[in-house]
Amino acid sequence: MMKRGSRARSTLVTLLMLLPGLAGFFGLFFYPMMITVVRSLRPEGETVGWTVEHYVQFLGEPRARGVIVLTFVLSISATLCSILFSLVLCLVLRRKPRGHRFFRLTMLIPRVVPGLIGALGLLLLFGSRGWVNLLLLQLLPGLEEPVAINYTIPGLILFYTWLYFPFTAVTTLSTLESLDPAIEEAADVSGANRWQVLRHVVIPLIMPGILAGSVLTFMAAFGAFSIPLIAGGNHRPLSVEIYRQINFTPARWSAASARAMIMAALQVAFLTIYMRILRRPSV
Amino acid sequence: MTLIRQYLRAILGARKLLIYTFLLCFALMIYLPFTMIALRSIGRGWFGRLWLPPELTLDWYKWAIEVTNVVDITKNTLVIAALAVAMSTLIGIPTGWAFGRRGIPGRELLMSMILLPRMIPPIAYALGVAQIFYRLHLVNTHFGVALAHVAICAPYAILVLSATFEGLDERVLEAASVCGANPVRVFFHVIVPLILPGILSSMIFTFTTSYNEFTLTLMTYGKDTTTLPVRTYLAIGEGYWEVTSAMSILLVIPSIIMLLMIQRQVAPEKLVGGFKGV
Repeated sequence: MMKRGSRARSTLVTLLMLLPGLAGFFGLFFYPMMITVVRSLRPEGETVGWTVEHYVQFLGEPRARGVIVLTFVLSISATLCSILFSLVLCLVLRRKPRGHRFFRLTMLIPRVVPGLIGALGLLLLFGSRGWVNLLLLQLLPGLEEPVAINYTIPGLILFYTWLYFPFTAVTTLSTLESLDPAIEEAADVSGANRWQVLRHVVIPLIMPGILAGSVLTFMAAFGAFSIPLIAGGNHRPLSVEIYRQINFTPARWSAASARAMIMAALQVAFLTIYMRILRRPSV
Repeated sequence: MTLIRQYLRAILGARKLLIYTFLLCFALMIYLPFTMIALRSIGRGWFGRLWLPPELTLDWYKWAIEVTNVVDITKNTLVIAALAVAMSTLIGIPTGWAFGRRGIPGRELLMSMILLPRMIPPIAYALGVAQIFYRLHLVNTHFGVALAHVAICAPYAILVLSATFEGLDERVLEAASVCGANPVRVFFHVIVPLILPGILSSMIFTFTTSYNEFTLTLMTYGKDTTTLPVRTYLAIGEGYWEVTSAMSILLVIPSIIMLLMIQRQVAPEKLVGGFKGV
């Protein structure tokens, strides 16, 4: 009897302790999400009635496909660039070259500094009067006009990579450092050269770590909002498209909500596929 | 033989050169944008194909402080971040404890549910948050904006703190009480020192997240609660790049100081939210 009472009390305590987290989740995430869902199914500006016209209308637009493709192109290319870059960077940093502490810290800068300030700096650096263009004009004699980098898709991919590669790099580095050196030594002793060790031993072993980090990069890049908002020019991924809807007067909350739901569904679907690939043992 | 050795040494030397060139490019890539901002903020009449501004001035800083109200904006940002950190920690400690110390049925599922706000693009629920807050008159209040930030900060706090509590060794606590420490003493002299690093890293993490949060702020801010990312965005829209640059330099300094301060205490993985298994 006594025991049962104390167990019930312990369960109650656990529940009470969980309560703040659950309240936060339901109040600040679940309820707003529901509002968005309901809103997306209401006629514009009304609080009664149901309709799917916002979904139909957006998906029916020929522009919609462009927007969705752009969102995926940007986030997937940025993820791939981050993986490649992080791999090289981490392989170099693992050898602990002189000043590696400084470079490790440098790696975190894009994540610690507000993204908009980073984007402002990138816009200045790659602008038509920025140092990159000045350098290119000096180096390439045939070049008369500055190269347009800002407000183009390759430029955006570059910006995304700059801002979101630390997710991948940090995970890759920590996976690389937890790698047992004995494995590499074994491969080395067995007569594999540097490249073979890297290609057949190191990379397959750290692949799960790289992919786990790249999921974070992908999520950040897919949901990126501030960067395309100021540096996107005419290229508007889904997030900016959503924001544009509520910036109309009167604000089109229902249209925005429908687009937000489509965006959330696409991200969840892509992540599910990605996770499934990730879990597969042979990468 | 010596020739081969020479070749080998040359290749080895070149490899080193290659590595350092790469690292130099990487560092330039990260720091040059800030150098450009800094130069832009102190230059006057910097047009055409000039590498450096022809004339130096501090006028833009004066403008930034007077016109764009940097002082107020910094105050807003810090107040909001502090509120968000406090609320997230208050949510994170009990929930993290329950996750870490109690066998909760369906723990994995519950945890992924709590982490769901990280999987969904923030703008999707920011729309809902904005509509609720408009109704509750929470828009344009420090508390409201901070509360919106909690939506994204609390999951991180719970994640970090549940790992901390999980790492707490039962035997250490038992040893303390066997040695005659009463529960109060155990709490203050054993538990607190053990979990303090975890709480600290959760606080630092939520602080940086809130300090840099843009989407949720943009949806809930007003003219009295403009934070620094929103102000930067507005300034870029206004197009006075020199003043914007001056403002950015003033606002980026706290972030850099923060990074230098915390880099020894906190593992970098925690700073970018790179947790194993997402």
